[in-house]
Amino acid sequence: MESRDSVIAALESLPATVREVDFKQRGYHLEVLLEPKRLRPFAELLRTGGFYLSFISGLHVRPAIEVSYQFANHDFPCRLVARVEVEKDNSLPTISDIFQGADWHERETKDFFGVIFRDHPNLEPLLLAEDMADLKPLLKSEKTLKDRSAVMRPEENEEEKPSADAAGGEGA
Amino acid sequence: MTESFFLPDLLRILFTFVCAIVIVFGNAVVMGYLERKLAGRFQRRPGPMEIGWQGVLQLAVDGVKLVGKQLVIPAQSDKVLYRIAPIVSFAPAALPLLVIPFSPKLQGRDFDVGLLFILAIVAINVLAILIAGWGSNNKYSLLGAMRSVAQNVAYEIPMLLTLLSVIMVTNTFSLQGIVEAQERIWFVFLMPVAFIVFFIATLAETNRAPFDLPEAESELTAGFMTEYSGMGFSLFFMAEYTYMFIACSLTVILFLGGWHGPPLPYADYTSAIWFFLKVYFLLIVMIWIRWTFPRVRFDQLMNFCWKYLVPFSLVHLLVTAVVVKL
Amino acid sequence: MNTSTTQGNTHRYVLNMGPQHPSTHGVLRVILEMEGEYVVNPQPVLGYGHRMHEKMAESRSWAGFLPNTARMDYLAALVYNHGYVGVVERLAGIEPTPRAEYIRVITSELNRLQSHLLWLGVLVLDLGAFTPIMYTFEDREKILDILEDVTGSRLTYCYMRVGGVVNDIDDKFVERTRAYIEWQRSRMPMYEKLVTGNIIFRKRIEELGEFTPDLSRRYGVTGPVLRASGVPYDIRRAEPYSAYPEFDFEIPVEHGGDCMATYLVRVREIEQSLRILEQALDKLPEGPFRAKTPKKIKLPPGDASFAVESPRGELVYHMTADGSDIPYRLKIRVPSFSNLSIMPELCRGMLLSDVCACMGSLDLVIPEIDR
Repeated sequence: MESRDSVIAALESLPATVREVDFKQRGYHLEVLLEPKRLRPFAELLRTGGFYLSFISGLHVRPAIEVSYQFANHDFPCRLVARVEVEKDNSLPTISDIFQGADWHERETKDFFGVIFRDHPNLEPLLLAEDMADLKPLLKSEKTLKDRSAVMRPEENEEEKPSADAAGGEGA
Repeated sequence: MTESFFLPDLLRILFTFVCAIVIVFGNAVVMGYLERKLAGRFQRRPGPMEIGWQGVLQLAVDGVKLVGKQLVIPAQSDKVLYRIAPIVSFAPAALPLLVIPFSPKLQGRDFDVGLLFILAIVAINVLAILIAGWGSNNKYSLLGAMRSVAQNVAYEIPMLLTLLSVIMVTNTFSLQGIVEAQERIWFVFLMPVAFIVFFIATLAETNRAPFDLPEAESELTAGFMTEYSGMGFSLFFMAEYTYMFIACSLTVILFLGGWHGPPLPYADYTSAIWFFLKVYFLLIVMIWIRWTFPRVRFDQLMNFCWKYLVPFSLVHLLVTAVVVKL
Repeated sequence: MNTSTTQGNTHRYVLNMGPQHPSTHGVLRVILEMEGEYVVNPQPVLGYGHRMHEKMAESRSWAGFLPNTARMDYLAALVYNHGYVGVVERLAGIEPTPRAEYIRVITSELNRLQSHLLWLGVLVLDLGAFTPIMYTFEDREKILDILEDVTGSRLTYCYMRVGGVVNDIDDKFVERTRAYIEWQRSRMPMYEKLVTGNIIFRKRIEELGEFTPDLSRRYGVTGPVLRASGVPYDIRRAEPYSAYPEFDFEIPVEHGGDCMATYLVRVREIEQSLRILEQALDKLPEGPFRAKTPKKIKLPPGDASFAVESPRGELVYHMTADGSDIPYRLKIRVPSFSNLSIMPELCRGMLLSDVCACMGSLDLVIPEIDR
């Protein structure tokens, strides 16, 4: 992949919802909404496309924890954020065999959010101590937990309403 | 050679023994101060300044501190080996001083095999390091000890080979004899290659940078000394400086003309000044090297010995043999 | 000795390096499975300096988190400041003034220089030479003095604010910085002779830890380590931020990928940072050093990233807000985290002393990894 357009085309054929966003406002170029089962093909696609994994992070919102993967490319400016909602059993497939760097990021996400990455070779606590494995410090309390729509830009909320519902329905 | 015409033998032995101890401790103090002060100069900082004029009493204060410190003996260590290692290292350090000719008359005993005597005594230090490394029951200590043994055994070979060149020329193992043979020309001018090889091997034998792998702070924390505190540590520390002194004395005797120098009144005794000046010059060079170079890696150390020093000294030995025969 | 029998091989033993070890710089612990002096399997253990900054960010207003940013990477506190105020500005839609952007670049670059100088000394210290670190600290001291005057602190700066900076820089600052640039240039030939040209130094790190662009893609390695393998990737160029597009500077690249190449890249970056400083001082615009901002800034719902080039690589703040002044979630992507994760693969089969050299050339700051 040589340009952002070819990346968008390849991602849309996965299929995935790809949206070009304003870099000045958001700090990244592409936003990708993924279903959990497309996560591994997506990662393989980016691996062959010359991307590197910047980080994996979680976000505790209603209805389910959302894990975001940020990738960027050495050859042309294309920073993309992929959002995946965890499956019902609070798990996602690992990508640590495709991007080895994901190993530690996934362990960190397991530490902080309790997300299980299936088939991860060694999902031991990384930053927390062994006896803190159940702490999950970044989970929100009932009082502070918000809906996904509450942390989205208003304009996105408007346009994304239908497709977000569709994704939610499929996951359930 | 040096007949005792004014002292009975027993007194003479006692006197040399006291002198040797004074030299051991005095040298440790002078070297400790020199090392820290010169390191400071090389690094554009003043070095110790607080205690006494220009920090000269710093070492005395450090000594008191070290003596006063608790000896922590690791619970899992081999108690006997752990305790005797510093003694095994320090006790023989004074012995070579008995045969070193500081001036024509200032010498404890002039053995026919003085050179071999020194080499034999100095080799005991390796054993002490090995005991310390094994007895501490610490992996860093053991790694340091392993390195030390391999390094000392390897570097003894080029050292002895270059020594042999000198012996071929002088035809004697007596240290006084070797010095006297250099009356007209110092051997450093006759055999510069041998001098360089010998000095490098000396650095390795005394575990000085850039060959200080047995203690390698950044890798092995403190190598074989990791578990030692208080006096245990300071005995190793003093032994190290004494062995450096002996190694430099040997270099001076073999290559730099021993006590030879411009004539002085009462030269039989006062020419020891030239001897000490030369020895401390070499010691300062050693300090200079230490604070300039990074440490070599273990395989590089071995390669350097077997691929460069040993062949060089062998060729040198051959050339010397041919020249002497002619 | 405690000899482990991993995989039935009785020659292997486990050596615990750290968390208190001179060359793990801080509180990193590495469990080394060894065979003699050879390292068979190095496994880093993290978390000894873990403070959960990301949770702290969620429990106070965004402004209250500013001092925290300085306490992750204590060698690049201003760069961390910069990234954080950047992400808040991006979310809240605030434009800093041109003069503020210049001051940010100047102080960030001074901070980068200071970090590189410390790294230079420490790398050589890891290799067993004690003297260069004293020289680099002498240079570093000058930077710290300059920065202390304007920011008020020497290490954990909290200098940048949304819309600008705390204090304006004055003529004295400009003058001292210019004098420093000249001084640093005059020192570089000495380092060239003392360190770069040193035969033992070269033999120790040449062809050590060879590194390919593909390896860095798999692990997400960035910064000088990546550039040493031939990829000219620098956030300052790839995703220009602040006033960086206005300066003419090179991205130093080497092609060996070994520790020597990493070393050369960093040393050349020192010169490039000096160039940026020089241009920034020449072109420094007049005007306010802080934009007019509302008294209390609320972060509108939505998310934003802000990537900056820290001395160690790509630093990303990713903030999600819900409309209050407390961030809903702040993810901090730190460069050393990914850079260290290659260690098990990179250092397998090395000698113990090479592992120390390799870690030194990765330029790790452990509190940054642990956060």
